Amino acid sequence: MRRVRAHLLAGTLSLVLGTGRLARGDPYRLSIDAVGYSQAPQSPVGLLVLQGDGQANRWADAEALAWTGSTTGNYDVLTAMVRLHDPRNFAELRLGRQILTVGALRPVHMDGADVRLRAPTGTSVEAFGGVPVEPQFAYRAYDWMAGGRVAQHLGPTTSIGVSYFEQRADGQLSYETAGVDLASAPARWLDLAAHGTYALIDPGLAEAGGSVAARFGDFRPEIYVTHRAPSYLIPATSLFSALGDTPSDVVGASMKWRMFPRLDVLPLIAVRDTAGEVGLDGTLRATLRLDDRGEGAVAVEGRRQGSGPDQWTGIRVTTRVPITARVRCSTELELVAPDDPRGRGSLWPWGLIALRWVPIRSLEVAGAVEAASTPTATREVNALARLGWNWGTR
Amino acid sequence: MKRLTLLLLLTLMLAACAEILGIRPPEKRPFPHHEHTAKAGIGCLKCHAGVLSSTDADPLHLPTTATCVSAGCHEKPHDSRDCRGCHGLDYVRTEAQADLDHLKFTHATHSRRLKDNCAFCHRGVETNSDHVRPTMGLCLSCHEHQEDFGQARTCNRCHKDIRGEQVRPESHVAHDGDWLREHGNRAFSAPELCQSCHTDKYCAGCHGRTTPALPEKLKFDDTLRAGVHRAGFVSRHSLEARTQPGLCSTCHTTSEFCETCHAKSGVDVSSGGKSPHPQGWVGLRGESNDHGSAAWRDPSVCAACHTGAGESLCIGCHRVGAMGGNPHRPGWTSRMRPTIDQPCRSCHE
Repeated sequence: MRRVRAHLLAGTLSLVLGTGRLARGDPYRLSIDAVGYSQAPQSPVGLLVLQGDGQANRWADAEALAWTGSTTGNYDVLTAMVRLHDPRNFAELRLGRQILTVGALRPVHMDGADVRLRAPTGTSVEAFGGVPVEPQFAYRAYDWMAGGRVAQHLGPTTSIGVSYFEQRADGQLSYETAGVDLASAPARWLDLAAHGTYALIDPGLAEAGGSVAARFGDFRPEIYVTHRAPSYLIPATSLFSALGDTPSDVVGASMKWRMFPRLDVLPLIAVRDTAGEVGLDGTLRATLRLDDRGEGAVAVEGRRQGSGPDQWTGIRVTTRVPITARVRCSTELELVAPDDPRGRGSLWPWGLIALRWVPIRSLEVAGAVEAASTPTATREVNALARLGWNWGTR
Repeated sequence: MKRLTLLLLLTLMLAACAEILGIRPPEKRPFPHHEHTAKAGIGCLKCHAGVLSSTDADPLHLPTTATCVSAGCHEKPHDSRDCRGCHGLDYVRTEAQADLDHLKFTHATHSRRLKDNCAFCHRGVETNSDHVRPTMGLCLSCHEHQEDFGQARTCNRCHKDIRGEQVRPESHVAHDGDWLREHGNRAFSAPELCQSCHTDKYCAGCHGRTTPALPEKLKFDDTLRAGVHRAGFVSRHSLEARTQPGLCSTCHTTSEFCETCHAKSGVDVSSGGKSPHPQGWVGLRGESNDHGSAAWRDPSVCAACHTGAGESLCIGCHRVGAMGGNPHRPGWTSRMRPTIDQPCRSCHE
């Protein structure tokens, strides 16, 4: 197993490093970031992230991200994938570690293969199979997943799809779901999207959602609904899935308003019904851009979670101010007040001040100090640092 | 006198507000195209010489101080400094360079078709010189974008490298409103649209099982970056989990995820921490017994700690004939084989 892991990691690193050489002349990106975090009261941690993606030619592209941490044996691969396709993307084969977003199914992290075929009639078919990603390649026998989606475009602005997914743990079904998704933009100012996922093992509606958004000049109103049954989100092999359907439903509305050329305001209100308990959640966010391009900005957000057993109120103020063309200062302050502190302090403040310096196009240096008073520590101070280097196009 | 001072102060405050909110243009003025074209009647090519035959391999055709002087208009500049130091906004040049770097565009092709009518694309250049760069929406008034994308599922027809360009769409799929909540609903139906700009690494940054650190922790200096786990999330994560049932389970599927962190920070029972459950959590019939309603409300929270051996704690009471009774909801059915599959076989022998 150790040899397999070593080979997989070596393969990923060659893919990351090979991307740049492979894609000479075509767009590619390769970067390395070193991040340090003091992480009080635990030991400091360090992280080295190496990532690359590029296009070898019109038929192939690749991407990979590998990382290693400061603690012994702490390494992993986030993605390592080769994508082979015809220049017009009628057929596509994705091989390796990837994230799949297939119809109404939640994104899954998989080591395997994904095939997509698309007909000029607007019909598309996708099928995938592989093993679920386990940290540090600690695969288990008889764990696998498979699924697919069939979709049809109805005109240039509407798409409808049906999907299926199953996952097995130790050979036994742990998830089996079918989903339907729909998206449409019937007018230039109107967007509609909806999805529903039905659990097939313990039959019931696992997740559903819908959103209608419109755009009228400086206003963008949106109405949305969500339905989520947590018992279907845990594997069917867990005892807690046997409790049955316990849904949480939300109906909400938001309205983005460009009040002034540089000021956006977004109020959001939602009613949540969880097992018969009804509560109100609300957010009010305002973003003021300090220049036309929004490089510098100040944002204020007030939030009230008035549903459920642990209600709370919070406010967050963030700033991002370019001091010179190469230096940028950012701050963030958050205050959270739980309705029932239960002896954990009545106010939980959190603050950060950060500086970023880009001395040359490829190099980026950043440092920050964050301080907080948390439910578990009266005072906590952390230092963060990042050093990044980029090659290729940005 | 007092009234006058007050009026003056009010006027100053309004002017300052107008400046901040972008109602007034900033102090550094855009290049006065209006003065040159509409008023002085100077043609575009006098300053942007050669632009009509330029391709995307040529440099930008922006005038320099030498152009202004040698054209015979500003033979005696009022200042010895570079004209561009005061006239013209920096970002207009940056955007023009970015377009040259990233777009498959030639002035040569367009000028032939448009019969050298620059103002067709550079709309309003003769009156307003701030935003002379055509928007993508304007490109789409001629180019059949939906058709192009629909045919090849790629933006390569116009964009050389859209991922490297890191452009945020203005005219379509604008990431507007509460996009963090909304993005999933949109991505379900159009993953290929998302993938035209975002790589799998981008999605896996939050949805992956081997994420090195959350994007907001890696890019800690970009405080305006959207993220679920922003700011003091560690402090408020228990509040968020309880107010939004199942939210955590949509990404975090294993109990080890919670246990690893709780064990390190000493807040779980097995590492000597206090039990998170209040008094009266588990009681006999007729006594305070809150754990049942909490489990109905969000079983995924219970599953975060009580998996594996922890499940036997529940089964001790909750089985037919035992004190806790049948744990299933009325009408509950399953395709599981009761005596073979987990977790059924724990009770159904």
